[in-house]
Amino acid sequence: MSADILTFIIFLPAVTAFALMVTTKNVQAVRNIAFLSTLAILVLVLKLYISFEPQAQMQFVTNTPWIVEYGIRYYIGVDGFSLTILMMIAILIPTAYLLLWDGRTKGYWINMLLVQTGVTGTLLSLDIVLFYFFWEVMLLPVFLMIGIMGTGNKVFTTIKVTVYTMGGSLLMFLAIMYLGVSYFNEFGEWSFQYDKLTQITTLSHTERLYCFFAFVIAFGIKIPLFPLHTWIMDTYKNAPTGAVFLLSSIMAKLGVYAIVRFMIPLFPDIYVEFSTYFVCLGLFGLIYFGIAALKQDDMKRMFAYSSASHLSFIAAGIFSLNSYGINGALYLMIAHAMATGALFLLVGLIHYKTGYKTISDLGGLAKKAPILTFVFAIMLFANVGLPGTNGFVAELLIIFGIYEFNHTLGYIAGFTVVIGASYMLWMFQRAILQDRVGEALKMSDLKMKEILGFAPWIVLVFLMGIAPDLFIDKFEPTVTYFLDDILKIGEVK
Amino acid sequence: MEDLIPFIPAITILVGALTLMFMSLSETLKTKHFLIVSSLFLIIALGNSFVPFGNLYTSRPFNHIFNDVLIFDSFSDFFHVLLIGGTLLTILIGEHYFQAKTYFKGEFFAILLFALFGMMILANANELITAYIALEIASFSVYIMVGFNTEDSKRVEAIFKYLVLGSFIGAFYLLGTVLIYGATGTTNFTQIGEFIATEGNNLDLVYIGITLLLFTFLFKIASFPFQSWVLDVYRGAPMLITAYMASVFKIAIFSLFMRVFISDFAPLQDYWDSIIYVLAVVTLIFGTWLAVNQTIIKRMLAASSIVHTGYMLMAFLSLGQNIASAYATMFYLIAYLLSAIGAFGLISHIISETKVRVTFADFKGLAHERPFLAAMMTIFLFSLAGIPSTIGFIGKFYVFTETINAGYTALTVLAIIATIVSIYYYFRLIAMMYFYPAPLTCEIEGFNDKRISTYAVAFIAALVVWGGIGSAIVFFIPVPNIDAIIDISKIAVESLFLK
Repeated sequence: MSADILTFIIFLPAVTAFALMVTTKNVQAVRNIAFLSTLAILVLVLKLYISFEPQAQMQFVTNTPWIVEYGIRYYIGVDGFSLTILMMIAILIPTAYLLLWDGRTKGYWINMLLVQTGVTGTLLSLDIVLFYFFWEVMLLPVFLMIGIMGTGNKVFTTIKVTVYTMGGSLLMFLAIMYLGVSYFNEFGEWSFQYDKLTQITTLSHTERLYCFFAFVIAFGIKIPLFPLHTWIMDTYKNAPTGAVFLLSSIMAKLGVYAIVRFMIPLFPDIYVEFSTYFVCLGLFGLIYFGIAALKQDDMKRMFAYSSASHLSFIAAGIFSLNSYGINGALYLMIAHAMATGALFLLVGLIHYKTGYKTISDLGGLAKKAPILTFVFAIMLFANVGLPGTNGFVAELLIIFGIYEFNHTLGYIAGFTVVIGASYMLWMFQRAILQDRVGEALKMSDLKMKEILGFAPWIVLVFLMGIAPDLFIDKFEPTVTYFLDDILKIGEVK
Repeated sequence: MEDLIPFIPAITILVGALTLMFMSLSETLKTKHFLIVSSLFLIIALGNSFVPFGNLYTSRPFNHIFNDVLIFDSFSDFFHVLLIGGTLLTILIGEHYFQAKTYFKGEFFAILLFALFGMMILANANELITAYIALEIASFSVYIMVGFNTEDSKRVEAIFKYLVLGSFIGAFYLLGTVLIYGATGTTNFTQIGEFIATEGNNLDLVYIGITLLLFTFLFKIASFPFQSWVLDVYRGAPMLITAYMASVFKIAIFSLFMRVFISDFAPLQDYWDSIIYVLAVVTLIFGTWLAVNQTIIKRMLAASSIVHTGYMLMAFLSLGQNIASAYATMFYLIAYLLSAIGAFGLISHIISETKVRVTFADFKGLAHERPFLAAMMTIFLFSLAGIPSTIGFIGKFYVFTETINAGYTALTVLAIIATIVSIYYYFRLIAMMYFYPAPLTCEIEGFNDKRISTYAVAFIAALVVWGGIGSAIVFFIPVPNIDAIIDISKIAVESLFLK
């Protein structure tokens, strides 16, 4: 039975969603039941987290045939890497519910539930076609959320983000099929399990390069990496808070996760070969998006850029070819998911209560809402990477990693962190602190429910900042094992 | 007597068509009665064709009478089930539409069954002339049905365009038959196949003849450069006939040409591979370009059917390299049948009571008026676009995988790009339905949702989702997995090689 726990975690939200869709029209009931089901998942994931042995292998594996003819299997499992992200998702989503509590429609909650199935499915799939299945499906509820509850030029935005991301995914789909066919031609049977696809030896360097870049495009769009980022500004500006939270805190992380899970094992030689380019690209993105964030007036847009900036940094860490960088990137993924998620939700809250979300319209919130300011400040410091918060540990690890990879790039990485600090603090000073009289002053402080929602995040921010070992221990064996393996293969090839 | 058994489905349909014809002499019978009678005959025929479904067999009953012109095997049975099932779904989903539009008189249903009869014989044909006759029975019935839409001024243009061009292309077919006969001295597929296998050279006339036959094939499935009739004919025809032509009729054409190209004419496949390769490329590009520019939903779906023809041609092209793409083609035919009948049928269901609902803008806010129908439409559009969890995705997966496996990677890249663009034009309709407020003239009342059409829509949507997920994971639902379709198509293709 313990093996089916993952299936349960994946499909519980979807089953709840479909049940709610047909049974009740009462928004409150829908919300409460949805919240309860996410809490149930949180409990399950906690149980999983505790019973997980920190080893390199996959655990809680389920592997049954799905489409026999083409060897596609329902193959799911969890290792240290995915477990940490699973834990993060399981904590983030119910607390986000608390912050989005009022004024939503039934469709909103049902879509939130469906997204949860999509993201956990994506996270736990080990068969690459199954992965693609969830990867595409998780976007559809977000598509509906942006289109129905969005603001501004929402239809255009929705079509743009859909065509953009699905276009990228379809290129990846092509690469997946190409790999599948290569496996079939080499071994005489169909399989799309990622550990089997890594055994392919017949592909030439050029073919691997094309497949690699098809994957990079798909994941790079979701993350977003530098030249593939043009969809995020409109989307983050026009999308409802919940969708922005999901896109930036969770789905973007899955892009990074998928690079580690599928791309690097499948193409270790290309990963090693192109690592310098990607570290440079990541650092360039960090600087570019950071400077862009400085110039923004709309807070959601600013956070969009800031989020892109951090994710570029994570990508740089992933490509740094050593355990510091990858551990740090994973750690930053968690830290950033919490910090950015919280900031987006806070801005959503401010927007909901005052009607403003531009920096020039806000100001003076600190007096009216001291608790909000306090939470805002903590999350901001975590995002900037102040010592004592989890962001600090993560950024330090990544900078070490990049330094080890290449000294010059390491110095650059160290300095670029200043950019992040500057736009964040400047925004904080203008939007929250400064003394101003205006419409924004009708802001009320956080309610008990919202404080409860943020409490676990705040605790985690400090706990992860002060005692990182507690968490790193869970995934470090995976990363070490993984890295040794990959680098060996990469160098041999 | 045993020889008669394979004929039962076709004869049932023929008797049904004649019964309906005589029934239409009566003034008192209503459309409802015709619907019931025709569905009854279709269900009987479907039940009968299910009897040998999935068995491996081939037989040529009454050989002394028919002289080998008809062949009954698992392959034809597979297509019989598809054709009858497709027609039945068309009738069920159109129950509302047929009753709402006054121009659907009794003889319409007789003609529909005659068309089905022609298509079924087409799947059985083992000889060029028989195939021609069957094709013309089906085509002429379809010509008439295209012209039924008396409300629409475009119908005359539609029927004449289709009739004239169709007859013209029929003449090509005959010329091809004559040339092949001239070269080989026979019109029987098996004997032509033997001739090709033994006479390695001196095949010039056969080559030309086959090219002319290919023209007919390409015309009927609306591939480039024979696609120019499609938009106008599809536009002028009644909505459901458009669906019928785009899905069921196409399947019938594929049944004939897959039969000959898989087995009898196979040694010559190198020759037409290059032709079809180029045509698949152009069809994909051209269809995509057309579909992007449409503002009328029906024309958009019609244009997108050209793109789907392109995908089918890809799989058809790969037949020569690996036989597995035959299963992919057959699966894709089913996938497209379900999604297209669903999409067209649902629109026809909606327009039955309202005059508009023609352009994209007319669909604004449908989700607020009729959330159920909008959700079903979304499923069909997802399937057409190939989004996972629908049968369209699995169909595309099969087709693309087999095309790559056959070595046509560049073509697959193009098809992927066409798919990316297709997301744009399909999702545009979803956006219209969901992202705009309902218009002021909201018609929540007066729309009877509890009728056969609605249930048929829900049934097809369920099939579409089943085809995308299967029952391997959701094991507690007692239905066969998606693999069953592939298994059956395997048996069907295998039966072609039984001699």
